[in-house]
Amino acid sequence: MTTSGKEIQIGDGSLRVGDRVVYPNQGICRITGVEVKQIAAGHSLEMVLLKREEDGATVMVPRAKVMGIGLRKVASAEIIDEVFDYLASPNDDPQLDWKVRHRENADKMTGGGLFGTAEVLKGLHALTRIRPLPQKERELYDSARHLLLGEIAAACNISMHTAEDNLDYALFPPAGMKRKGVELKLIAPVVALPLKGMRSADDDLGFEDEDEEDVAEVAPAGASEESEEDGEAEEEKPKRKLQLVPKGGGAVKAARSESKAKPAAKAAKSAKEKKPAKAAAPAKAAAAKKPAKGDKPKSAVKAKKGKS
Amino acid sequence: MIRIVTLGEFPPDVLDHVQRRLHAAYGMGCELQGEAKLPKSALDQALGGYDGAKLIDQIDDDTELYGDDKLLYLTTAPISAPLGPMGKGPTDGFAQQGAGKCVVSSALLGGKNQLSLEAGLAKRAAHYVGHLWDLHHCYDPRCAMHPGWAPGFLQYPEVALCLFCREKSEKKIKLGQG
Repeated sequence: MTTSGKEIQIGDGSLRVGDRVVYPNQGICRITGVEVKQIAAGHSLEMVLLKREEDGATVMVPRAKVMGIGLRKVASAEIIDEVFDYLASPNDDPQLDWKVRHRENADKMTGGGLFGTAEVLKGLHALTRIRPLPQKERELYDSARHLLLGEIAAACNISMHTAEDNLDYALFPPAGMKRKGVELKLIAPVVALPLKGMRSADDDLGFEDEDEEDVAEVAPAGASEESEEDGEAEEEKPKRKLQLVPKGGGAVKAARSESKAKPAAKAAKSAKEKKPAKAAAPAKAAAAKKPAKGDKPKSAVKAKKGKS
Repeated sequence: MIRIVTLGEFPPDVLDHVQRRLHAAYGMGCELQGEAKLPKSALDQALGGYDGAKLIDQIDDDTELYGDDKLLYLTTAPISAPLGPMGKGPTDGFAQQGAGKCVVSSALLGGKNQLSLEAGLAKRAAHYVGHLWDLHHCYDPRCAMHPGWAPGFLQYPEVALCLFCREKSEKKIKLGQG
């Protein structure tokens, strides 16, 4: 038995048959009536019938649970304006702890209303400026965007396309875009990460840091090697064959070969110490460049002694 | 099938490039359907261009769409959109989200700080056709669904969809075919 009279009040009395409502996580629906449904033998429930505008699907909600699931009227244009104020405001720092973020986002999507959805979208959007979203959050980002667009379009009576453009004028402000007379800050373009950067941050194993350290270590070391070379070249040209770090291999290449050749380099260092006359010039250069390091001046002193 | 109708003159090689890029992006056939005239009634002097939604509604075009066909209008005239909560912003086309028709403008392409006509039109076309499959804007600057005014759109002229947008469009295409 369906009752579709407009006088029927639903929920807290603010909803009536024919109203456009927002069903959390489903989108814009229209209340089409109230029906008593036989659930099991001897059990019947009064159901509110909703028709989803997007695809015409019918959704049934027990009348007693209408308020519990967060069914509400479509927001007014004034509320939408406030949402745009929020979206256009400078970025919040995104929540980096994925567990907290996941819980918060789930709560906001189901019970946070329009602002909850906007917060989820803005939070995830801010996160995309740091790293690409994992699949589940990418889906949530798309879903939040879709729900928000549906409500903006319905509230402002504009097309979904216009609503999306407006939403992104706030999230990716074009040059000269203003909100209530204040020019929005241009946000630096999201860095398109190379494949190496596409992994999620949760599996950060610290290899990048190691690489950086290696490069940082090696770049000056390479420079000192160069100076060593120069010094050697002046004294004894045949010694070039003993170079352990490949010449002209670039910083990273040199870093890798350096890490492999570290034990060999140590051996070479001790060999140099044993043959101080040949190593005198590079040691001088190293000592002049890096006076702070303890071992280099030592070897320089030794080298000097050897030379004398 | 993606059907293209021109509302102005375009070099054949540009149209050929757009067809190829659309085919590559969505894995669907793409063919040039013919020409039509811009409906003058859709011109909105106040906004300084043709109202995209009105243009699609009022265009005199007898192209028939079957099943999951999508219709893409290409024009050299500027397109405008009704004012929304953020006011006036850059617009280079209009799409009926999740429906069948879209219009793309080549206005400003080939100018200073803009993509070439060929590359820009192909990318814009892929973007608006994506909206027809209900794709939303994407934050990835390499993706064709990245907003057209964002710097990333210029930075990456290749027509490509990110993994998420590609999968979503493939699902929609399969559903449409079903």
